[in-house]
Amino acid sequence: MSDPVWKLWAVIVLVGAANYLTRLSFIELLSRRSVPPLVATALRYVAVAMLTALVLPMVLTAPAGLALAGNPRVPAAIVAGVVAYFTRSMPWTLAAGMGALWGWQAALG
Amino acid sequence: MLPAAFALIPFGLVCGVAAAGVGATPLEMLGLSAIVFSGAAQILATQLYAAGAPVAGIVLGCFVIGLRLAMYSAAMAPQVASLPVRWQRLLAFLLTDQAFAAAIRRFEAGDDKRPAASHFLGGGVVLWGGWQLTNAAGYFAGNAIPASWSLDFAVPLCFIALLAPLLRERAAIAAALTAAVAVVLLAALPMRLNIIVAGLAGIAVGALVATAHARRKGLR
Repeated sequence: MSDPVWKLWAVIVLVGAANYLTRLSFIELLSRRSVPPLVATALRYVAVAMLTALVLPMVLTAPAGLALAGNPRVPAAIVAGVVAYFTRSMPWTLAAGMGALWGWQAALG
Repeated sequence: MLPAAFALIPFGLVCGVAAAGVGATPLEMLGLSAIVFSGAAQILATQLYAAGAPVAGIVLGCFVIGLRLAMYSAAMAPQVASLPVRWQRLLAFLLTDQAFAAAIRRFEAGDDKRPAASHFLGGGVVLWGGWQLTNAAGYFAGNAIPASWSLDFAVPLCFIALLAPLLRERAAIAAALTAAVAVVLLAALPMRLNIIVAGLAGIAVGALVATAHARRKGLR
């Protein structure tokens, strides 16, 4: 690898620091002042927007590249989404999603 | 928090495999899992690192993806305001998607926050410890897992488990649809910038729809 040896450590320390400061942000600030209403509204949609942007490429990108047709990850993700919506349970979502993926792969054969 | 801890086993394994994939030393692998302590950030950081992104780009990308933690922080703030500052700073380090989802209802239920805080602290430490073990297992033994198991699919599944229950109001659905369309349309952007841009677009649309909805309600 041609990268300098410190590069990964720089990533670890800086990402770790940014992550911790983000987690601490409002816990530290809110005891003293309140958030502007627009910021509070925007914060409510951070999770839903970021998770969608993060998840979709992982589902649409099969090991061989971007694929929709014949990609068992798409139906498996839909099954998992329906189970998650109704159960709000991570273990059940994982079981349903992995089960659907394996079932689909076995059926395609 | 135990079901969440078990559900995180495949996610931790995948993060360990990802660390091995970019040629991290065992100590660097431990640094990623112990210091960063966030599956989403670890996966993105290793992907961007492998793509040759500069340090600043990797940090920015992980920061934006970690912004959802600020929302958890805002929700936790009133719950932990009565606790000593030292406790608050420790709890903040353990504030992950899973710990937050498991703890927030217990915090909101009681007037005395100390039992909920103890529960959060205990559960958070278990999650942290389990995270180190599963990351190390993935790093050292990830090759033993057959590729046909598609274990990497556990990563989007963990996020789907957090995402799908949020899609119960109009503004949240608008935010998700915007992010979904944008992340596909912008797939050609380098360094996976499409994820960040799509996320920001989704947040903006979500806030816009929510504000417009509130205004219309106010007029009625």
